[in-house]
Amino acid sequence: MAKGLNDAMFRAIRRDLRESVTGAVRVAAVEIMNDLAKAGPAYSGAFSSAWYAVPPGQEPGGPRSEGSIYKYDLRNVPRGKFTRGSYFEIVNGASYAPQALDLEEGVFISQLDVDGEVIEPVKTPTSIGKRTGKRRGNVEAGTGFAVSTAPLDWYVNYTSGGSMTRALEQGVKIGFRDGPFGGRGGSARGFG
Amino acid sequence: MNYQAIRAAVESPLLTAFNNLSPAVPVYFDNITAVPPNTTTEYVRVNVTFGITNEPTLVTSVDNVRGAIVIRVFTEKGRGPARNQELIDTAFTVLNTLNNTGKPSTGVFFRVGDINGPSFSATDQSPHFVGRIDTGYVATDLS
Repeated sequence: MAKGLNDAMFRAIRRDLRESVTGAVRVAAVEIMNDLAKAGPAYSGAFSSAWYAVPPGQEPGGPRSEGSIYKYDLRNVPRGKFTRGSYFEIVNGASYAPQALDLEEGVFISQLDVDGEVIEPVKTPTSIGKRTGKRRGNVEAGTGFAVSTAPLDWYVNYTSGGSMTRALEQGVKIGFRDGPFGGRGGSARGFG
Repeated sequence: MNYQAIRAAVESPLLTAFNNLSPAVPVYFDNITAVPPNTTTEYVRVNVTFGITNEPTLVTSVDNVRGAIVIRVFTEKGRGPARNQELIDTAFTVLNTLNNTGKPSTGVFFRVGDINGPSFSATDQSPHFVGRIDTGYVATDLS
């Protein structure tokens, strides 16, 4: 085979491979961020909207919205962010993220509206009652108005308990399927 | 799936290890709220969570449970980290021993993953210095 043809073929394979990997990474990031939004606490919904997939060292933004559990799609993981590789971190930009992730203790107050009525959380609470500790999830049934919308240690359970690995696998599978090497996305352009 | 046996596989050796210390250190597990509020007494809190149950494989469906273990050690604030680290080491040793135990023919085969930490924290609101380690686990129900 002529050297020029070889070079062109390898360039095409490399380009398609890079596109596939970037696509898989983006889909995996969306899968994971949606899982985190659903598994984590959601009172106003602001925390669920503050997950960002960013290249290492880049600061995340703040919460995007309130009023519901945020739904992520590929627009939240722009292709342009990964021009220098497909390595990224998923971080939460809420100022109270360490408390929401049950990594630090905090002070928790009831969410009241202007009339002093307790505001309903956007997510069904996992426990309502008395506060038994200074971590977000330290709420158990009993006399009191403390509300927790995710179990204690939900984040560690998600990252270490197998669910994140499964989401990553699912995302990569979908990402490659829809990429240049997949049955749907294309025709392996270099050889078309 | 025998969730109770899986929980016991990690909770029992931890309880035994901390009970065998002199003096014994109280251990509190999930759904036990006996920790006196604002106590300065040292204690250990163990939370076991379940993540994924049952993993289909190429040949069969394995009764694997994946989850996470979070161990928090509460010791007196303002006295340095030494005591806290001693207790963390007790917990770490138990987890490590679980990984060195052979596979039984029946019951639960328990393995932990990378152990994260220890990380330490103390806040103005709490009388305690808190050390924490966490890890994922895989438990296979062999019965």
